[in-house]
Amino acid sequence: MLFLIYALLNTVFIILISPLFISLIKKVKAYMQGRHGPPLFQTYYMLSKLLKKETVYSNNTSLIIRITPYINVVCVIVASLFVPVVFIPGMTAGFGNVILFLYLLVCAKFFMALAGLDAGSTFGGMGSSREMTFSAVIEPVIIIVFAALGLLLKTTNIYQMFATSLQSSLLINPSTLLISLSLFIILIVESSRIPVDNPETHLELTMIHEAMLLEYSGPDLAMMEMSHAVKQTLLMAVLINVLFPWGLTASPNVLSVSISIISFIAKGAFLAIAVGIFESLFAKSRLFRLPNLFMLAFFFSFSTILFELLK
Amino acid sequence: MMNLLFICGLCVLFGVTLFQTVLVTKASAVTRRFSLWAMLFATLLFLAFSLDIVLRNISFSFNLYQLTDTLHFSFTVDRLAAYFMMIISLLSTTVCFYSLGYIEHHGSNTGKNFLVAMMSLFILSMLLLVASDNTFSLLFFWETMSITSFLMVIFDYDKADTRKSGLFYFVMTQLSTVCLMFGFIAIYHVTGSFDITAVRGVSQLLKAFIFLSLFVGFGIKAGVMPFHKWLPYAHSASPSNISALMSGVMIKVAIYGLVRYLVFVLTPDRWWGVMILIFGTFSALLGVIYALKEHDIKKLLAYHSIENIGIILTGIGLYLIFQSYGFTDLAILALIGSLFHTLNHALFKSLLFLTTGAVVNETGTRNIEKMGGLLKVMPYTGILFLIGSVSIAALPPFNGFVSELMIFQAFLQSFIISNPFLKILLFLGLSLFALTSALAAACFVKAFGVIFLATPRSEEARKAREVSWYMIAGPAVIAVLCILLGIFSFQIFSSLGFTLPIPNMMIIGLTLVITLGVVWLVRRLFSNRTKRTSETWGCGITSQNSKMEYTASGFSEPILKIFRPIYRTQEKAERTYNDEGKSIFKDAKAEIQTFKLFEERIYLPIVHFVQRFSTYISDLHDVDLDTYILYSFAAVVILILAIGWFV
Amino acid sequence: MMHIQLLDDITKILFVLVLATAALIITVRTLSSLFNVYAIQSWFIAAVAFVLYLKNGSVVLLLLAILTVISKAFLVPYVMRRIQKSMHMKRDLEFRYLTPVGSILVGTAMIFLVYWSFSRFLPELSSDELFIFGSVIGVSLTLMGMMVIFTRKRMITKILGYLTMENGVLLFSLFIAELPFIIELLIVIDLVMLIVLATVLAFGIDSSIDEFHNKLNSYILWFKE
Repeated sequence: MLFLIYALLNTVFIILISPLFISLIKKVKAYMQGRHGPPLFQTYYMLSKLLKKETVYSNNTSLIIRITPYINVVCVIVASLFVPVVFIPGMTAGFGNVILFLYLLVCAKFFMALAGLDAGSTFGGMGSSREMTFSAVIEPVIIIVFAALGLLLKTTNIYQMFATSLQSSLLINPSTLLISLSLFIILIVESSRIPVDNPETHLELTMIHEAMLLEYSGPDLAMMEMSHAVKQTLLMAVLINVLFPWGLTASPNVLSVSISIISFIAKGAFLAIAVGIFESLFAKSRLFRLPNLFMLAFFFSFSTILFELLK
Repeated sequence: MMNLLFICGLCVLFGVTLFQTVLVTKASAVTRRFSLWAMLFATLLFLAFSLDIVLRNISFSFNLYQLTDTLHFSFTVDRLAAYFMMIISLLSTTVCFYSLGYIEHHGSNTGKNFLVAMMSLFILSMLLLVASDNTFSLLFFWETMSITSFLMVIFDYDKADTRKSGLFYFVMTQLSTVCLMFGFIAIYHVTGSFDITAVRGVSQLLKAFIFLSLFVGFGIKAGVMPFHKWLPYAHSASPSNISALMSGVMIKVAIYGLVRYLVFVLTPDRWWGVMILIFGTFSALLGVIYALKEHDIKKLLAYHSIENIGIILTGIGLYLIFQSYGFTDLAILALIGSLFHTLNHALFKSLLFLTTGAVVNETGTRNIEKMGGLLKVMPYTGILFLIGSVSIAALPPFNGFVSELMIFQAFLQSFIISNPFLKILLFLGLSLFALTSALAAACFVKAFGVIFLATPRSEEARKAREVSWYMIAGPAVIAVLCILLGIFSFQIFSSLGFTLPIPNMMIIGLTLVITLGVVWLVRRLFSNRTKRTSETWGCGITSQNSKMEYTASGFSEPILKIFRPIYRTQEKAERTYNDEGKSIFKDAKAEIQTFKLFEERIYLPIVHFVQRFSTYISDLHDVDLDTYILYSFAAVVILILAIGWFV
Repeated sequence: MMHIQLLDDITKILFVLVLATAALIITVRTLSSLFNVYAIQSWFIAAVAFVLYLKNGSVVLLLLAILTVISKAFLVPYVMRRIQKSMHMKRDLEFRYLTPVGSILVGTAMIFLVYWSFSRFLPELSSDELFIFGSVIGVSLTLMGMMVIFTRKRMITKILGYLTMENGVLLFSLFIAELPFIIELLIVIDLVMLIVLATVLAFGIDSSIDEFHNKLNSYILWFKE
């Protein structure tokens, strides 16, 4: 019963807060470029506008592009059950398993890549190809980061990871610094930010994720954009709750849950501003220089394991 | 009751073989159909038999024929053997059903009859091999299996590369039998009997020798690197239902042998586990990397079989390592994950091969660059291939995900091992395993996308039509099983008596379905429902054709570029110009060659060495009478010396 | 006196940051970023010396910290930037033997190698955990500096690699904390610098190793006539 309340609350909260973080990053980038930028609630306006438009499908497409928005949204919403931001529930039936979490996100990516090939356009094919390549190369890094987290926190369940980091302050532990660097790089890669991908342009030279979204319209596009936003929030939540879990609570009463929600909004906003500043400092790097960046993340997480061994 | 099932099934299969061989020139489509239905019935009997043993955890013994005092054909089926018999019979049932429609498309009458005969004998020998309880009958049925599969691989013997593939396969399979014989004879030397029972008290050196020869023998048949080279050739040359049987079932039989010997017969050392883990990880990684550059759909699937065998071996290696430290829970998790992956791989690989067979039949080509847009004309085959791709890419909640999850879970808990260097090795193995899994997903996006999506790239693809009902129903059963095994995995394992720390996929599946319902409802209520179709956006070009689509080589190009040191493709480009200043272009030639590491650096040198050696020996034969008498003289002298020395 | 455990933890964090800067030096291509990373690295090493001074109280460490800050964090980058202004190139793009990806993989492998061999005999010398940690990181930093020298082609980056090596040796010797010994160790690696200096004086700091070989070959031919 408690788990049902948690499920509802967590999902609704994450869905509501994700567009805000996207707009916040855009606003920070605009300020750094000397502009005012779009208003903070712009993403909400865009999503509701898209819902009212009609859907246009290409002649070449099959059922794949029609089912992909649903699969994306469903996978991402179920994945959001694995990352508690309102309160940490008890262990239930395998929710919180880190491998299941990662593979739900991979499932969403798989269908998105398939749908990119569906319309028979060159843009979509290129986006799919690059997306699958870089998701393949970043996958070992993600797994090693979670393995290192498991080594540090002695558990592979995300609920228990947050609960353990809540009890013992990890901040002084040097391994946490390395892991957070790796997690930050993973956040940049998975949410398609500069220097990996440019979410602002729609030119084939600078896009990976946006290329696959070219053929969607109306409510489909709204669903895909929302699933992208939720995925970004989930990864931000993992980074935040491993490093700064204060505010998050394991006891589900109204006061602690409200504190938890407010502190997550504050911490998330801070991280979004950091991501925005990071994006403004760099240019999008050349495509085949990206494995260098991933190697850095791999280096950091592997060194974490070394540090644990040295204890 | 079980006696009846076993003997009945055995007799029917053997009977079909005899029947078809006798009538090999005269039988027609109707008799073939009858034989296939009989085979189906027999395999269903075997399926019921093995399911009974697996669920009730009992064992069954049967003595068929006593050849001499020490050599007899006897069978003991315990849970492990019954599990593999279940895999074999399940897959044979569906392949038989599929063959009812597939077999009529190909080849001559005699050829088809012979194929059915050999198929029946092949299935029979695999079943009896797994059931054998002594090494004599195991080797006997191993040989029968190898010979029948060779005969089936060269079904299209009028094509030169089919002959070459068949010969390569035959040589490798005989090599595996020789290695197995070494191992078995060593065991006989220690225990004095041919029975497959626990062997204790063997010296370290002898144990290492037995392990290595058995590993090489079973590894060649399973397709472990570096003994894997025959697999892509054999599985692409043979007809699709045979490829499904070979790739889905035959290589699992080798895994059965390995598991039987490692778990029940020998007491493994820790370094065995480390070695198996390293071989497994490399097979998995290199298998999927070579699969990414393939554009022949069957070779692609064959390389994926190598990758999955690598995954299975990784699980077995983990089991051995954890067992040697005494962490039995983790060891059982790894082993069950590995065995479950055997079942899953058998299922989805057969599914993929069978649907590929339908596609190849309809388009007449194995090259995926010539296909496209098939999902709209062959929807059922397409959906089945999609289910197979989703399973092999290990996406939840299908069965491929659950078995990979178990192996991941075992890997992630490896921080409890005390030896720091083993820990580092395990974490390295974990990252390579994750890389393999992600690359497999990329490869199947390419395969499914290029074959079934967008628009047809050639005339043959445009003319393709949906296949007969038999060729859909067979794979459909497997697809449904894939889904069910994934969702109900936790329940199945609990009912078999294993409580494993894996998530309850039924609840996850339920959550997915409920969320889907809610999302669909929300969208229906709050959003615009009008739809229309139009052209694909092409940056302003109004008439798009199939040449604008992304090709398979283009899709895998970034990955090939990143992993360039492994592929070592050599690109040669020559241009000729009409003038001195190199501005008026005349002609050009470009060549891209992939570096076949295993063929050029490992296999061919061995072959050349053996050829030179045998040429030398055969030259020794080419002499006149005097030298022959000299040879006999020398032989007799040595014999007399030996008798004097040793007696 | 601050809590010893806190000081130990701060030292470990600084080690981590030093390692991060080492990885960056191997891969970064822009010259001004290289100098910045080197300056930051020297700051971190000075901070390690300072924290060790707080822990042990040995004045040598305090002097070392101040000296490192003045010379390596301010002076050397300032001089290098002055030189860079008169050079025409801004980036060092050519790699030899190892690409950045390969360098990081080799660097990781080397850290483990150093850890393995040191964990064999170091516990007998001193069971202080920080000592083992520091020596492993110091020697790894030296090896990574050497890697920079042989993978890059431009002279100026080679000099930076040498400076990183010196930082690594300094870090390693901080835990021994006896001044004469530290000086000994630093002199040993100066020998490497001699070769680099000779090339620089002969051909200019913006040359690359290819020009060096070409000019040397032409001099050899000139001598033969």
